[in-house]
Amino acid sequence: MTEIPRRRIRKVLIANRGEIAVRILRGLREVGIRSAVIYSEPDRLGLPVLLADEAYPIGPAPSRESYLRGEAIVQLAQEIGADAIHPGYGFLSERAGFARLCRDAGIVFIGPSPEAIDAMGSKVESRRLMIAAGVPVVPGGKDPLPDLDAAQAAAEAIGYPVMLKAAAGGGGKGMRMIPSAAELASSYRAARSEAAASFGDDSVYMEKYIVEPRHVEIQVMGDLHGKVVSLGERECSLQRRHQKVVEEAPSPAVTPDLRRRMGEAAVKAASAVGYSNAGTCEFLLAKDGSFYFLEMNTRLQVEHPVTELVTGIDLVQAQIRVAEGEPLGPEFDAYSGPRGHAVEVRLYAEDPFQRFAPSPGKIEILRWPDGPGVRVDSGVYEGSEISIHYDPMVAKLIVWAADREKALNRLERALSELRVEGIRTTTPLFQALLADPDFRSGNLDIGMLDRKLAAGELQPPTDGTAGAGEDLPLIAAALAHYERANRTAAGPAGPAATATSRRSRWGAAGRHGALRGGSWT
Amino acid sequence: MDLVIRHGGREETVKVRRSSRAEGGYEVVIGDRTYHVDAEAARAGLHSLRLDGVQHEVAVRPHGEDAWWVSTAHGSGPVEVADPLTHLAAQTRGGKGGRRRQTMKAYMPGRVVTLLVQEGQEVTTGQGILVLEAMKMENEIRAEHDGTVTKIHAQPGQAVDMGDPLFELE
Repeated sequence: MTEIPRRRIRKVLIANRGEIAVRILRGLREVGIRSAVIYSEPDRLGLPVLLADEAYPIGPAPSRESYLRGEAIVQLAQEIGADAIHPGYGFLSERAGFARLCRDAGIVFIGPSPEAIDAMGSKVESRRLMIAAGVPVVPGGKDPLPDLDAAQAAAEAIGYPVMLKAAAGGGGKGMRMIPSAAELASSYRAARSEAAASFGDDSVYMEKYIVEPRHVEIQVMGDLHGKVVSLGERECSLQRRHQKVVEEAPSPAVTPDLRRRMGEAAVKAASAVGYSNAGTCEFLLAKDGSFYFLEMNTRLQVEHPVTELVTGIDLVQAQIRVAEGEPLGPEFDAYSGPRGHAVEVRLYAEDPFQRFAPSPGKIEILRWPDGPGVRVDSGVYEGSEISIHYDPMVAKLIVWAADREKALNRLERALSELRVEGIRTTTPLFQALLADPDFRSGNLDIGMLDRKLAAGELQPPTDGTAGAGEDLPLIAAALAHYERANRTAAGPAGPAATATSRRSRWGAAGRHGALRGGSWT
Repeated sequence: MDLVIRHGGREETVKVRRSSRAEGGYEVVIGDRTYHVDAEAARAGLHSLRLDGVQHEVAVRPHGEDAWWVSTAHGSGPVEVADPLTHLAAQTRGGKGGRRRQTMKAYMPGRVVTLLVQEGQEVTTGQGILVLEAMKMENEIRAEHDGTVTKIHAQPGQAVDMGDPLFELE
């Protein structure tokens, strides 16, 4: 093996925004590396800019004119003397072309090689590579089934239930589930005529149908010396329209033996493409414990903190060391399983009661939860404007405790301390989930959240105390109205205010706020 | 002060008055329930309400002209407040000092019962101008400031919609 050059990284350009830019910045500062961030026009006063050592404008609000300007970003890195670029997640993080630009410019791309990104970026190519490497993939194939005999042979090989899919279909259209051999003949004919009618092409292919699977993914880390290790799994089954909402580690469904086998599969998958740095292999986990490779995310994941909390490993700092050419340290060899339990909820600026409509605006009041076992990764502060231009995720709330039940109790406690006013957030969804018996018992699958939302099963818990709990909003509004009326009837210094000021502490801060142009006016 | 408050599907008559039962005290009556409330502002828009010792942190901010956005531990949403007496005040908020002219509008759909003054009449702050019946309650609409009632738009018996002009005070 060729000697891997060690290269000390002294300054990193963070090619991202929001909470992940802040997360990377924190990791850098703790190891004494200078941080530079880019920002679009509306992000001039974003938290990353305020915390960074250096900050440079990169363009107007639209991403393609700012955070996606790969050439301009690499050029900037050269101009400011940055040794490396951290792409975060999203934006340029999984674009092999950008990783190549960095390499050609002599800038370290903190992530895998462009070749590894390319190999994993193609569904067809990565599936072929995974099969060759002995990584389990969803059984079946894209080859059209010319007649019923071929379909029967395929179904026997795959095992029921199976799914017939229209070759020209997509987005869930032209799919037909077949529970057993008895239904195959009629379903096969129906699927072909449906496909012909819908897509003008009657070819169909077959895949195994996995009943209510979980989404379980394995965090891997590889160094530049060919070593890849697994850091265990994350359970990410709670998704709304394929968007992860809650993640946890470990998975309630994964035994130590399954963890070992899934970890080995993930390491095989990563090694097959010469993977280095942090990456994640996503699997479908069936109820019988069989698992199937879906894809590999060739970057740091949004939900990486739950792995950090149960392994004690700072993944951002590990990424830096790997990028510098260091071999994986002893903490990776020492990993033998998760310690305790971590849960993350993604706080989106969306209204869960208005079909998750985006809720941009100014954060008027913000109080993060605190105390034992609570971590907040956020990109905003009180006064921040939530822009319509970017992802609506404003923060991640992550808790750690000795076991799952304690972690969920801690999450409930933390959510009770959280205060966000001015925008609506998905907090009520999490409160409703915490009251849901299936979530509480760890009985999860990837369709569960959408099913429960569609059925209206997730309702925010109400105050057990009848009367006062229900009357509280009325009481609060009545008092607010009463005080405003007294205030405006005579003005802040007028006789009415004087008459009531002796004990009117409701109004005191309100008046002060009003005079400063605060939220009451 | 009597208020009509709507929240969710509920509509309640709510009475509020200052009370000496507690520091920062109010008495709030909703239906047959009487609450002794100790209310303190932690900061603008964020309040601690003690209801007979039980503490609730509540965020309240204006939500349009006649509603508040209220957030409690168990959810958040708009709470509409209709108040005959302070509606005048709300309409003139910000207009302090100097000569004021205002068009008083109906704060809710209802029916004008009685006129208490005539066009051109001089009135003083707090003087009743007309009586509006709405939500089965008769509400006296009063002058927010000293001035002259230059125009009365509504006549006794006339039905008015929310936002219809009632009179001009100059």
